[in-house]
Amino acid sequence: MKKVLEGSQAVAEAVRLAKVQVISAYPITPQTHIVEILSDYVATGRMNAKYLRVESEHSCMAALIGAQSAGVRTFTATCSQGLALMHELLHWAAGARLPIVMGEVNRALAPGWNIWCDQTDSLAQRDTGWMQLYCEDSQEVLDATILAYRLAERVNLPTMVVLDAFYLSHTYEPVDVPEQEEVDRFLPPYKPAFTLDPGHPYSLSPLVTPNAYMEMRHDIALAMEDALAIFDEVEGEFARIMGRRYGAVEEIDTDDADVIFVTSGAVTSTVRLVLEELRSRGEKVGALKIKLFRPFPTEAVRRALSKGRKAVVVDRNYSFGASGIFAQEVRAALCNAPGHPPVFGYIAGLGGRDITTQMLSHIYFEVKESEAPLRESVWVGRQEVNRAT
Amino acid sequence: METPTALQNVLYMPRTFATTESNKTGAWRFLRPRYEEKTSPCGAACPAGEDIARIEMLITQGAFKEAWETILMENPLPGVCGRVCYHPCEGRCNRREFDAAVAIHSLERFLADAAARNETKPALPRQPAAGRRIAIIGAGPAGLSAAWFLNILGYETDIFEAMPAAGGMTRWGIPAYRLPEAALSAEIARIEAQGVRIHTGETVTAARFEEMRKSYDALFLGCGHWRGLSLDIPGATGVGVEEGLSFLRDIRGGVRRDIPGVSAVIGGGNTAIDVARTIIRRGGRAIIVYRRRREDMPAFAEETRSAQEEGVELRELLAPVRIDAAAGGCVLTLQPMTVVGQDQDGRGKIVPAAAAPVRIAAQRVFTAAGAGTAAPWHEPPASGASGAVLALSHCVLLQDDRGAPVVYGGDLAARDKNVTQAIASGKQAALALDVLFRHGVGSVRERLASCVVGHGPALSLEIYLGGPRRERNAHIVTYEEINADYFQYEPRLVQPRLLIEERHSSFDEIELKISAHTAMREAGRCFHCGICNNCDNCYLFCPDVAILRARDMTDRHIDYDYCKGCGLCVVECPRNAMTLEEETP
Repeated sequence: MKKVLEGSQAVAEAVRLAKVQVISAYPITPQTHIVEILSDYVATGRMNAKYLRVESEHSCMAALIGAQSAGVRTFTATCSQGLALMHELLHWAAGARLPIVMGEVNRALAPGWNIWCDQTDSLAQRDTGWMQLYCEDSQEVLDATILAYRLAERVNLPTMVVLDAFYLSHTYEPVDVPEQEEVDRFLPPYKPAFTLDPGHPYSLSPLVTPNAYMEMRHDIALAMEDALAIFDEVEGEFARIMGRRYGAVEEIDTDDADVIFVTSGAVTSTVRLVLEELRSRGEKVGALKIKLFRPFPTEAVRRALSKGRKAVVVDRNYSFGASGIFAQEVRAALCNAPGHPPVFGYIAGLGGRDITTQMLSHIYFEVKESEAPLRESVWVGRQEVNRAT
Repeated sequence: METPTALQNVLYMPRTFATTESNKTGAWRFLRPRYEEKTSPCGAACPAGEDIARIEMLITQGAFKEAWETILMENPLPGVCGRVCYHPCEGRCNRREFDAAVAIHSLERFLADAAARNETKPALPRQPAAGRRIAIIGAGPAGLSAAWFLNILGYETDIFEAMPAAGGMTRWGIPAYRLPEAALSAEIARIEAQGVRIHTGETVTAARFEEMRKSYDALFLGCGHWRGLSLDIPGATGVGVEEGLSFLRDIRGGVRRDIPGVSAVIGGGNTAIDVARTIIRRGGRAIIVYRRRREDMPAFAEETRSAQEEGVELRELLAPVRIDAAAGGCVLTLQPMTVVGQDQDGRGKIVPAAAAPVRIAAQRVFTAAGAGTAAPWHEPPASGASGAVLALSHCVLLQDDRGAPVVYGGDLAARDKNVTQAIASGKQAALALDVLFRHGVGSVRERLASCVVGHGPALSLEIYLGGPRRERNAHIVTYEEINADYFQYEPRLVQPRLLIEERHSSFDEIELKISAHTAMREAGRCFHCGICNNCDNCYLFCPDVAILRARDMTDRHIDYDYCKGCGLCVVECPRNAMTLEEETP
């Protein structure tokens, strides 16, 4: 049924439909609406779940690791500083092969204290072993959250569903909310690969010596590789029931494009508008939306970008001393492909600054005019500021 | 249909079936928590040394009999004290700093009333018979208390009371609207039921006293201050002038007397207030005149407030100069006073003001200007008198060659003269005599010092007898040591009271009864400072499962093999019943 929902509500609806059994969270703007709604669902009996209040995000993840080890489906949501505080246990959740699902609202890290959109918080967790799905609109947020459970439980790895602060979390859009029966068909009850059992006590994750640790890590690497294939398979099943499919990546007008934008998250929608405008003026421009960031769909990225003459990555994030993080990943994916296009990197919209259609047009024409990038990253839309003296 | 992946079949998860108990985390510890109960400020402030924190805890559990017995171990008159004690316990209650003090006195009264209504018999430990007989002169609170504690300590006791009924000032000096006769009689009946013999109507003269020093093993003299002091001004013994204490005694004794018109009451103590409020109930108007300021009055502030509610007029800074007979009564002449600096006792120092005398026409003048001993031999001996004189905080002990030792107690020896101090005096006398008989007079001070509550001066019988309370640290728990996060604001119990109109025409008790439910809720406000109420926070918070206890919550202890000294249990203990110390090698 179509409803007008906030992105936060879309996450909460998905969690309810996924019949999550244990929720734990520590409130943080702009994640708060998600957990407010869920705590209300639990308190009023709309969800048959346990809601654990905790004193920090670190404890939150620790609680979920315990709950998931006991064999139940779990959920949390956080962002920014909260996600950073979880860092240690993000590694643990993945290493312990627990398919925990998290709603991650992209918010800038302090200082300066900033609650607005920026992807650096989730991208800084790229090496923790969590899968990451970046969403463009609230419908995708809802669908990705349901899908994340299926995917995570298949490969026994935790998954973040990532949505832009405010652009998605606090914006109302029409969202098609599936029926419970449809979700039940897609997402069977959680069957854990292993559970703690008080009747036969043992403890998980004890000391592991050099003669076994590497195999455990390799196992996670294999699971990530599997996840790429399983993602397509699971999405296929989702599409058969719900009639919607997104792909690990989505190519937009790439077939005859000279310049291909690479985007993630809500800014993709802005790029779609720019593409319409530029195409109507005869410009050969396309876009590649990357939804699945971990595991990184290297082959699909290579295939898509090899169609164009130039790739331009718009990053709403930055790795200091290097470049935009998506740009890094795209360059790494292309570098072993012979004759790959040059990769232009642009940094825009940090800390919630709007990325406008004008800005994107400007980037397009700058790239169109340039043979090769002069710098790894070009920061766009900067303004005059009063500096501390 | 899902395609099983190879992956799930080879999921590589380390696990161990070995017990984690092999990891003795206690070896990491450099701080050591331990259970250590401490002293609650209320219990330390109680002159009778009642174990208030524990009493309130028992009330929350509905264990009313046990709570009542816990009082009786330290105070034989909870029904009296719950009504007329000035409750210094509430003045020190840590809860005051949170919202308002626990209504400790109302709960004490509740327990006594419940026990009286149900005719509950207390089960108290009685020491083996000591084979000694003690004579007690005066059945006031001091004498009753001395007899009660001596009885528990195994002594035979005879109380000799000059008046036709026991109770002393509690019976003859405190009006019924504060302390109804039935409440007092129930307490006295229970004391007698424990084996204390009370001989009423037996005046002990100086000669008989000397005789008793030959026939008894010890004497307690607690005959009180019964002689109202008269004013040293012209006309103080004239027509229309009455002495307040004997007036109260007459009314309590059943004399039906109307006091119409205006009466002046001279004085600022509880007797003055009681006289004025009695006059109101006998159809008159009362004006209290006091030479100092209201805040300097020795009367309890609550009593003064109630008196004013009932219509008693209070005029301060007026010193009586003379009383003259006049048509239809008398004229009281008063000198206005003014405050200049401070007296030694901290009250405002008063000097005559440069103002014309004030005259008050009244039908009667009542004096309530203090009381003294009825006979000179009642006065305790000064140190330096013949024989050994031991002056304690609430008693004077005399041992000489004229016969058995004598303890002077109650109002005769106490600095602050009120019911609860008298009870403290009786207890001190009983313990002092027990020490004297067992260990000699030389041990009295030291032995008594070892059974004080907190830092004293209140004594505890339970501690004296080596009960569990002896284990408590003398440290008095402060509000800062309470983990207030565990408590919620809740208004203090409001005791229902008679309407002002109802009070004007009757001596019915003003403060009405509360229900068991109300009592339990009020006791639930108590922090139980310093004592364990089995809240189980230590057990719940210990990250090492190192708090061990039986299923019924008893026998709680710390497993030091695993306690790594994080101190969480101590921090989460809401009431400072645990202590964290540095580990000593």
